[in-house]
Amino acid sequence: MNNDYYEFFCPVKVIAGKAALEHIPYEVRGLAAKRPMIITDKGVRGAGLLEPIISACEESDLEIVAIYDDVPPDSSTAVVRDIVGVYRQEKCDSIIAVGGGSAIDTAKAVNILASEGGDDIRAYVGAGVIKKALKPFFVVPTTAGTGSEVTSVAVIADHEKSVKLPFSSSFLLPNAAIIDPRMTLTLPPHVTAATAMDAMTHAVEAFTCMGKNPLSDAYATSAITKISASLRIVMKDPKNADARLELAQASTMAGIAFSNSMVGLVHALGHATGSICHLPHGLCMNLFLPYVLEYNLESIREPLGELLLYLEGPDAFAATPLSRRPEASISAIRRLRDDLYKHCKLPRTIKETGKIKEHELEKIATNALDDGSIMFNRREVSLEDARAVLKRAWA
Amino acid sequence: MLTRHIKPMALQARRLYVEVMFQVMGQALQAISEMDREVQAEARALPNGFIFEMMVMPNGPNMIIEHLGAGALRFHAGKPPRPVNLSIQFKHIAHAFLVLSFQEKTSVAFANDRMLVNGDISHAVRMTRILNRLEVFILPKLVAGRAVKEYPDNLKLPTKLISAARIYLKVASQFFDRVRATT
Ligand SMILES: [Fe+2]
Repeated sequence: MNNDYYEFFCPVKVIAGKAALEHIPYEVRGLAAKRPMIITDKGVRGAGLLEPIISACEESDLEIVAIYDDVPPDSSTAVVRDIVGVYRQEKCDSIIAVGGGSAIDTAKAVNILASEGGDDIRAYVGAGVIKKALKPFFVVPTTAGTGSEVTSVAVIADHEKSVKLPFSSSFLLPNAAIIDPRMTLTLPPHVTAATAMDAMTHAVEAFTCMGKNPLSDAYATSAITKISASLRIVMKDPKNADARLELAQASTMAGIAFSNSMVGLVHALGHATGSICHLPHGLCMNLFLPYVLEYNLESIREPLGELLLYLEGPDAFAATPLSRRPEASISAIRRLRDDLYKHCKLPRTIKETGKIKEHELEKIATNALDDGSIMFNRREVSLEDARAVLKRAWA
Repeated sequence: MLTRHIKPMALQARRLYVEVMFQVMGQALQAISEMDREVQAEARALPNGFIFEMMVMPNGPNMIIEHLGAGALRFHAGKPPRPVNLSIQFKHIAHAFLVLSFQEKTSVAFANDRMLVNGDISHAVRMTRILNRLEVFILPKLVAGRAVKEYPDNLKLPTKLISAARIYLKVASQFFDRVRATT
């Protein structure tokens, strides 16, 4: 017997598809809550995405008692304190997060203070600090990428100390994730492409890194199939609700996969680049994915070769000899990136971003070595290795 | 009923093995940090006076390492001199045994939730790399190849030091053989 062992955990109820939002009142009441607060950002509210949620609740006699719509892209301890103030003032008893990664992470942190008490979220930093269930919490993702609706972590910036605080507990997971195609229908092409490539990277890294396991593999491969089949359709026909729903589900599935098996060097480099050069996370994922796969190639030939089936379908898979499949998988990802570049100029190289200066590469490489994701990369990444990957991604 | 499943000798040997291995690793880590540039470079990024602990839950054997500054590490037997900054905790002695007997890579044990990290993840990443480097030094190549992700080709360390560490390891491996023989 070998030493294989794994854990898999996802207690989030997934409510997905047509008229999913209309299930929110039932779910809220099902947890004995009556006074939900919505936490979102200006972009989401401006795009009119709250209307169907509010009217679905009103029609069911559930009043949304407070709406906080000012979550910034890089949320902070001060924002969390403000929101929990509103929550207490309005005597709310549950939270509905509507938005992307930042709104969802903020809502997770607000839920900690709303449930455990106090005004300073820093008291709860780290893993395993929270020991009991928090207030009823629901997430409506409006981007198809981060997978935050099924992850048990939140990252909040502490601007006073210029650090990012990680919070990790299975109690941060929402009671339900509501995935409705109406929420992503108006997402601009550039954001659609970048966030979908974040989901793609979650799935590819979950499947090829050290924490892979049979259950997360099933979610990862399904996610890759859906993204490969639907992303190009959505780029050509943004109002295609079926393809939008496929991407949204793929994002949740990829989130379930990577939250159980972790990610690797693409994320380590992406986190470092994002924080130094202030580039969107999905854009960084798209940037580094093929170069990191090439760097890891010899250590991941088997799983990467298998992925060709999900990236290109059974015909292409069968027509490619076993020994060529890993390289063919990388080519498939490169072709997808080329198409995305044609559609919305999503950068494929560091140079194409126009935002990263050559002297910043050294700092990116150093910071990547301190990122937690690097632990689960198959190859032991040295500073020289990180520099070499960045050099290849340059142009 | 319950006692019928317990093999006391084997369990005791396993615990002893883990205790001895923590001692071996702690002492070797201190020695290597005085000589190996790569370990020093990794450790230098840790704050001065930083206390690292590797332990078995709930209050099993442990290893305490202090960063004295400039990349030098010191092994403490028993209690930490100050509150711990970074703690890596095995959920059970059985999991510590798998990792410390080099049947499972540290990074794999992390990935598979066999242990928990309390503290700054970036420090945990560094300590894992330092432990990997340590294993490369004190283990025969064949065993080390299984325990770490990649076997480096730039090992330069006085053979005296390596052989000293390997003697400790021999002591530990006697316990290991006893566990094997009785489970
Ligand atoms: Fe990501």
